[in-house]
Amino acid sequence: MAERSLLTSERLDLGALLGEVADPACGAQAIFLGTVRNFNNGRCVVAIDYTAYDAMAARVLARIAAELEAEAPGLRLALRHRLGRLAVGEAAIAIVAAAPRRDAALVAVRTALERVKSEAPIWKREIYADGGADWRELEPLVARQDR
Amino acid sequence: MPPLPHLGATIFSMRLRILAFASASDALGAAESSFELADGNRVGDLRRALLARYPALAPLLPRLAFAIDGEIAGADQALREGAEVALLPPVSGG
Repeated sequence: MAERSLLTSERLDLGALLGEVADPACGAQAIFLGTVRNFNNGRCVVAIDYTAYDAMAARVLARIAAELEAEAPGLRLALRHRLGRLAVGEAAIAIVAAAPRRDAALVAVRTALERVKSEAPIWKREIYADGGADWRELEPLVARQDR
Repeated sequence: MPPLPHLGATIFSMRLRILAFASASDALGAAESSFELADGNRVGDLRRALLARYPALAPLLPRLAFAIDGEIAGADQALREGAEVALLPPVSGG
């Protein structure tokens, strides 16, 4: 299969991701969309700029998907993270998991999301209604074997 | 015959490509720069050298991760000529 970057500056296409994981052996498709919220830490947010260490982030996202698929028989996982400036309500991350039964699909979506949040070199900078902006830096990165 | 170079004064050094992200980019004043360091130095030495050059890094350093050529690196990891060193503050994707 051709390597496709899981980072994009385009609007996320949930239909395309559902198509990627479609499998007649799967009776469950679980979906997570992370969207830009209009309020954080007492301030009105109007947009978020997402930036990444592209080469490493693309590799980390692909590794997360591959590892989760290897751990759960029949699981198919598709994800994308969007970069650039996103307005309130736009999706920054989409994760779709298909599995023969619901538990595996739901767990995979949650696990993939938490791993992306702690392992992928991606940062958000919130843009506020008052004109200010701040980096949000939440999860220190550590090597996988140290986790 | 030309005079021999004065080898005693020669210090071999390596040039590193530094990529700084998020607040680390603000602290360095550039997303991309190059940095010269004596041969044999490791990631921990680079941390100290960067702090000396860029004091604005001080508040970030305790939570700053380093990646060498795209993989997270500990303080003991060796550096080599031409390595791509990324300064990675805590992340906030998703």
